[in-house]
Amino acid sequence: MELSPENPLSAEPEIDTSNVEEFVEQLRCVTDTLPSRINIDAQSVEQGLAKLVLTLIEFIRRLLEKQAVRRMEGGDLSPEQIEELGLALMKLEAKLQELKTQFGLADEDLNLDLGPIGRLI
Amino acid sequence: MKLYAYCLVDDLDTLDVQRPGILGADVRALKIEDLSVLVSDYQFDAVPVTRENALDHAAVVRSVLDRTTPLPFRFGTLVTEQQLRNYLSARKPSLQIRLGNVRGCVEMSIKIIWELTQHDKPNPPYAATNQGAGTTFLAEKRREILGDEHRSQAASEISSWLREKVSGLIRDEQVTLRPAEKLVLSAAHLVERAKLHSYKEAVSAARQERPELRFLFSGPWPPYSFANIELEFKTQFGVS
Repeated sequence: MELSPENPLSAEPEIDTSNVEEFVEQLRCVTDTLPSRINIDAQSVEQGLAKLVLTLIEFIRRLLEKQAVRRMEGGDLSPEQIEELGLALMKLEAKLQELKTQFGLADEDLNLDLGPIGRLI
Repeated sequence: MKLYAYCLVDDLDTLDVQRPGILGADVRALKIEDLSVLVSDYQFDAVPVTRENALDHAAVVRSVLDRTTPLPFRFGTLVTEQQLRNYLSARKPSLQIRLGNVRGCVEMSIKIIWELTQHDKPNPPYAATNQGAGTTFLAEKRREILGDEHRSQAASEISSWLREKVSGLIRDEQVTLRPAEKLVLSAAHLVERAKLHSYKEAVSAARQERPELRFLFSGPWPPYSFANIELEFKTQFGVS
């Protein structure tokens, strides 16, 4: 469709916001999480693999936590079972934190962008 | 010699504006059957991801937006002329459908920031009979999970509200919700040019309704969010 009086289109895109600095900051955060090109060297491959594996473990860990909370609220666990389950999940979280530190990964690194579906976590 | 491919357009013989492309190369319209691809010569094996190159790519795609609606290729698409001809011949029907989907439209973008704490509703405490570390840990997780659910509901409500405000004015949309982050919503709307004025008015009125939200409104852009032609290309020829 060509440009016509019925179909006006300015030559340049407009950018309209009253909160420029805030959006710049947030968009920088989004850009930082975009996947960059992979450098094939021993260290980055190891870290990339650790990131993928730990992301999946983190995903499963959160599912387990949600399931535990549902069961706790559902009343089908005794106080002793709740305590035991809570301790096990607490240790799992601490272990994962230890592994993240070991591979130099932050909390926000453990996620996957699944495109139109959204993020894994 | 390889070609750098910028975008696919309906039949276009000439370019009105001679906008230099990547590394200052001349851009030309390569006519293949009844489609055209904007290309420039490129002598290296890969395209460095730099701000300048990204802006050059965007400027070339944008340079034809006032005449037609381009389907942008992914940044960094390098291909030989023969590969391009084979690709277009093999994929012509599906590419024409994709061009038809965006024809006469532009992409408009809306991003919304919210205050995360506004949606942290107090939850009824969990009445634990055992106050051990494990039980306390699970009670805290329960609080976090309920908070996440409240935020997800609130984010979905914003998305539904925005959709209702632009209903009838958009042909398609791509919405990303991130309830756990400040930048909670990113929406790309495919808007017919004839409806652009009405769309802008609708968005402007909508913004007044929600003073608690911060908006970033931009466009018109080429329909980057609705193109998605690089994957087919990559699959077929293994180029990046």
